[in-house]
Amino acid sequence: MTATLVVIAFVAAYVLIATERIHRVAAALWGAAAMVVLGVADVQTAFFSERTGIDWNVIFLLLGMMILVGVIRQTGAFEFVAIWAAKRAGGRPFAIMVSLIVFTAVASALLDNVTTVLLVAPVTLLVCDRIGAPPIPFLISEALASNIGGTATLIGDPPNIIIGSRAGLTFNDFLVNLAPLIVVLLVVFIGLARLVFQKELTYDPNRVEELMRLDEREAIHDRTLLWRSGIVLALVIVGFLTHSITHLEPSLVALLGAGAAVAVSRLDPHDYLRDVEWSTLVFFAGLFVMVGGMVQAGVIGDLGKELTTLIDGRWLLGSSVLLWVSGLLSGIIDNIPYVATMAPLVSDLTGGSHDPHSGPLWWALALGADLGGNATAVGASANVVVLGIAARNGHKISFWRFTRYGAIVAFVTIAISWAYIWLRYFAFA
Amino acid sequence: MHGGRRGRRPVDPPERAGAATVLGVRARDLAQPFPIVDLDTDALQAAATMGRHDLPGLVVRGADGLPLTVIPASQVLRFVIPAYVQEDPHLARVYDERAADEVMHKLAAATVADVLPKKHPDTDELPVVDGDATGIEVAALMARTRSPIVVVVEDKQIIGAIRIGALLGQMLPSDPPTA
Repeated sequence: MTATLVVIAFVAAYVLIATERIHRVAAALWGAAAMVVLGVADVQTAFFSERTGIDWNVIFLLLGMMILVGVIRQTGAFEFVAIWAAKRAGGRPFAIMVSLIVFTAVASALLDNVTTVLLVAPVTLLVCDRIGAPPIPFLISEALASNIGGTATLIGDPPNIIIGSRAGLTFNDFLVNLAPLIVVLLVVFIGLARLVFQKELTYDPNRVEELMRLDEREAIHDRTLLWRSGIVLALVIVGFLTHSITHLEPSLVALLGAGAAVAVSRLDPHDYLRDVEWSTLVFFAGLFVMVGGMVQAGVIGDLGKELTTLIDGRWLLGSSVLLWVSGLLSGIIDNIPYVATMAPLVSDLTGGSHDPHSGPLWWALALGADLGGNATAVGASANVVVLGIAARNGHKISFWRFTRYGAIVAFVTIAISWAYIWLRYFAFA
Repeated sequence: MHGGRRGRRPVDPPERAGAATVLGVRARDLAQPFPIVDLDTDALQAAATMGRHDLPGLVVRGADGLPLTVIPASQVLRFVIPAYVQEDPHLARVYDERAADEVMHKLAAATVADVLPKKHPDTDELPVVDGDATGIEVAALMARTRSPIVVVVEDKQIIGAIRIGALLGQMLPSDPPTA
């Protein structure tokens, strides 16, 4: 009876999150409260249990990176690199698009996607203004590139942070298993961008000189801060890469980096805390308690056993279904609650099996959830943010206009990911 | 687009009135003739008037001859400076001088209606008072609406406007006590 009530409360909260009838933070907290009322969550299970509680590794990794980004963005380094890259492209629209796609993807792998597009989109609007090019193709391609690039690393996309923590996967695991594929996907995506945006990449050749006159060096007004925060970011990445030697969890590395950045920047707390999305952190906490209630009630465990029986050692089939279903669902609903729900289920599936072929389930979940976010205008936070920036600057991008391009990119990249999983983990394993 | 001729020139402001205490003073006593623009007045002309006379804003008149809203000078800047530059101060620094000059050209093709915020004016409280309003009422309205100008209306006619500087001049003692 309790399990049924828990499922009803969970589904109700999930529907509220997906339909946005109320704010997603309120919905997640409502769901967490329901778990407490139903007796499947208490202080011990919610705050101190690794299996059913709030994943503090995820929360503090996000918090640390948000503070670090809050310091780094004060330097103007992103604007500098983006304008420099656009100028290097010589004012030719497609060359500019490629340089901004690559810059966005690389930055998204190191920072979160939303921050990246928040920094790149204004530069794009400036560059397009200068050369008289329509900015919409550029903005759409950057949102898509941020979701692709973010898939490459543990810290690139929030679903990866959840997966890394729940599966015990390191920064290097993501780098070794996903980054090579993402390089291929980026090359394919650039080819797709050429195909789908070709007719829209118009510009005024007489105005290229206006782009060249922009002085990107002016974007940086505190070189000392740039050097100091750049060194801190480099050390943080080294910290992630050397986890096997230092045994420092990514959350601790991010927090140490945030602390160091704050110390060396001497910025006012208001400046670097402005970039902390407190609502996102609370949303995560509520979600973890919600999902923990499902685990505590035995629902996830029972579902895991059913799926294990159903898969019956056919891990390629399991990975394929997980990849495509995750891709489909992430285009429709927020991929964060989806992955938060699926992570304990996949953990049960992989944990209950000693077959090495069960491991790719995690990569299938990450690839499906991250790349599926490209399918629609609301599939990923970065898409929503880009649409908002475009609208504020008088370039409205409709849901369908974005989705028309996004769905193609999501389908092609997931199809290639499926081939990658099959070849790497099964055919040539 | 309501009323007024296209390209109508704003009326120039007169000299400031003399100082007096705000207590017991009515809005009609504080009101001074003030430039009024229509929705279809050229935005560049309106901006030039603000600049020439160092005005914090202009009164915008509707088709019915009554004040529609007050357009603060900062709104003109909000219109000409691209939103992406306003949101990212680093980008403002990369503009060269010629590009900075070019942003003002945006006003040349615009009217006052284009420059107004996109919100419907009816949903906002108008910075308009009756001639009988006290000085404190005017001050409270300015504070509430964050408007540097309050328009004074009597018998459905605009009799003038009160600038925030003039009001502060009335409210503050002529010889401020030293610490």
